[in-house]
Amino acid sequence: MSTINGVRYDEKDYSWLNFDHGLCVRCGVCVDMCPMDVLHFGEHGYPYMRYRDDCWYCDVCTFVCPRQAISMNELPYLIR
Amino acid sequence: MYHVKQADLVIIGSGAAGTMSAIYAHRVDPKLKVVVLDKSKMETSGGAGRGMDALNTVALPPYSQPEDVVELLTKVTEGVLDQDVAYRFGEVCPRMVADLEQIMDRGKGDLFPVDEDGNYQLLYLHPINKPLLLPMDGEEMKRALAHAVRETGAEVMDRTPALKIITSDGKVCGVLAVNIRTGHYYYIKTKAVCLTTGAAGRMGLSSSGYLAGTYEFPGCSGDGYTMAYEAGAELVNMECFQANTLLKDHQGPSCGYVAAPRGAYTINPWEQRTWSHGYSSGDSKMGSWKRFAQGKGPIYLKMDHLPEEMIQIIEKIQWGNERTSRGLFHHGRQQDYRNANAVELAFAEEIGVCGGHSSSGVLSDVDGATCVPGLYVAGDVDGGLPHSYLGGALAMGGIIGEAAAHFAAGVPEPAQRSGLKAWLRKEAEEFEAPLRREGGLPTTLVEYKARTRVQYYLKPPKNPVFMEKAAWWMERIRQEDLPQIQAVDMHDLLKAHEIKSILRVGEMMARSSLFRDESRWGYQHWRTDLPAKKPEWDRAWVVIKKGPEGGMELEKRPVPGYKWDYPTAMEYAYPDLEFDTGPMFEKGPEWKNPTDDPWMKKHLDAQGMATPRLFMPKEED
Repeated sequence: MSTINGVRYDEKDYSWLNFDHGLCVRCGVCVDMCPMDVLHFGEHGYPYMRYRDDCWYCDVCTFVCPRQAISMNELPYLIR
Repeated sequence: MYHVKQADLVIIGSGAAGTMSAIYAHRVDPKLKVVVLDKSKMETSGGAGRGMDALNTVALPPYSQPEDVVELLTKVTEGVLDQDVAYRFGEVCPRMVADLEQIMDRGKGDLFPVDEDGNYQLLYLHPINKPLLLPMDGEEMKRALAHAVRETGAEVMDRTPALKIITSDGKVCGVLAVNIRTGHYYYIKTKAVCLTTGAAGRMGLSSSGYLAGTYEFPGCSGDGYTMAYEAGAELVNMECFQANTLLKDHQGPSCGYVAAPRGAYTINPWEQRTWSHGYSSGDSKMGSWKRFAQGKGPIYLKMDHLPEEMIQIIEKIQWGNERTSRGLFHHGRQQDYRNANAVELAFAEEIGVCGGHSSSGVLSDVDGATCVPGLYVAGDVDGGLPHSYLGGALAMGGIIGEAAAHFAAGVPEPAQRSGLKAWLRKEAEEFEAPLRREGGLPTTLVEYKARTRVQYYLKPPKNPVFMEKAAWWMERIRQEDLPQIQAVDMHDLLKAHEIKSILRVGEMMARSSLFRDESRWGYQHWRTDLPAKKPEWDRAWVVIKKGPEGGMELEKRPVPGYKWDYPTAMEYAYPDLEFDTGPMFEKGPEWKNPTDDPWMKKHLDAQGMATPRLFMPKEED
């Protein structure tokens, strides 16, 4: 796991949100709307959970995505 | 990069209260230059970012009157209420409800239920015999409020937390803020500030260990409490802790305010109820605590006796509003509302303070004005209107927007600050110090340490030793750990900053609990060394403020005189904890050790206090 001091994560790291790259058009609405600043753009412009452990599992990202490209598969590991 | 801006009014925090402040300030004066700051994103920030299912306490004639709000708040606050503020809130409830319908473009009977005569249908929940809870289909509320704010032309600065409220001659004159995505700093000269930053809701740490697993929105880390304190404002009721019955591990609401008015209640595995009503006041918290203290937990939300139609209604409301991950959580845990003992609840998993859910916050009057001219507060950071929930945030948010706009119209622009550039550079360097550190302490580690100490030492029942230790830990972490904290980027830097607030609020909670030398509000301020209310503390606040020497000053201050003679006490008793655990092991006459220890003294003389030997033999040169 490529974290920096356990704060920042990479796209390949464990995540409870799934971003369907076939549906995502990289519009950035989820990155803009995430209330905890968890989501950021990855290497190819797709969103991912850069600050995963700040996620409040509020579901805003799945709600605002205009392409239904985001799904919350489960809750954070420590609380699921 | 540094930017200097000019405004008439700065609103810090754009949750329910902050958005209403902006809307009402614009109504008073459309030319008013308003800047809205939010550390998050206005459309989705705060406790109601994903919608809300009810206004928990509102007065809407003909079924309830402003006096009923006064009666409720007089009772649940047990003698620390400014009744004028409560009455003002009750008076403006109809206006606030009509505003919401208009802002959300929802007709009467759509957003809120009405009866056949067109009157709002209120439900019973509270520990008085009046209906004060108004259900709401409010999933879209926050985005509608945000849209209305943007329509006013206010300058909205998302991802831009305020760091400081600046005063000159004791009056508000500016706000310092930083954008955490660009790293740009802003000094905003202003005549007035509406502080609407929410609760101190990231204090204790729940047993899941997940730092963002909080009941309150995790961005609400008590910054408003700290900024107001540093600016010279007074805070009250910081000893009246928030300790909730919540969905175990999820930390979402126990669903009581949705389910209780519809027939649900809380029980333990032996079907013993925890309390007679489902309102989150100090008495019902004692009831939840009792079951765990008896070793008769866990507790559950009982719904399996309800008809299928009602269960589906509860599921629809709870899974589609406020915390929408609840359905997924229940599914993952194989929890079905139709089964007995399905929905496990936990109690007091994270201790914190909040005005809207409890009584703690910045002291304010009927206009939401604080003792600092130009500083107004509303919502969960407001201690002037306890137990007012979302309805109070919306209603008082509007009131402070109006009041601040009128105030701004009557005062001159603040003078240009001399040496501004150098001051800004110094502030930025101080804020960014954790970024320049190498090999320091990760923010997550320090936050974990602070919040575990808060939870362990501050969780009631309280005693003076635990409170002293809590205060000691807050100071120790401030002195030893903060100077070593390392942030990896701007996002992380905000975390380092928020930890300062957690420590300051934790200290306020400890010192205020020590100062009020009695017990009150059931579980919320239960001191085992003084387990009863004292008459001399009736109608008296503990007021905290920053003293002239920089230390925390506390004083006892009378609450404004009561105009309505409603009961000022809840129905509960503090239990006697000196229970009998039976006879202890008795030492016989042979159970005697020597009074000295020559064997250990011989070793001490030979080795001193040094570690006896190296783990690995020393290599020869």
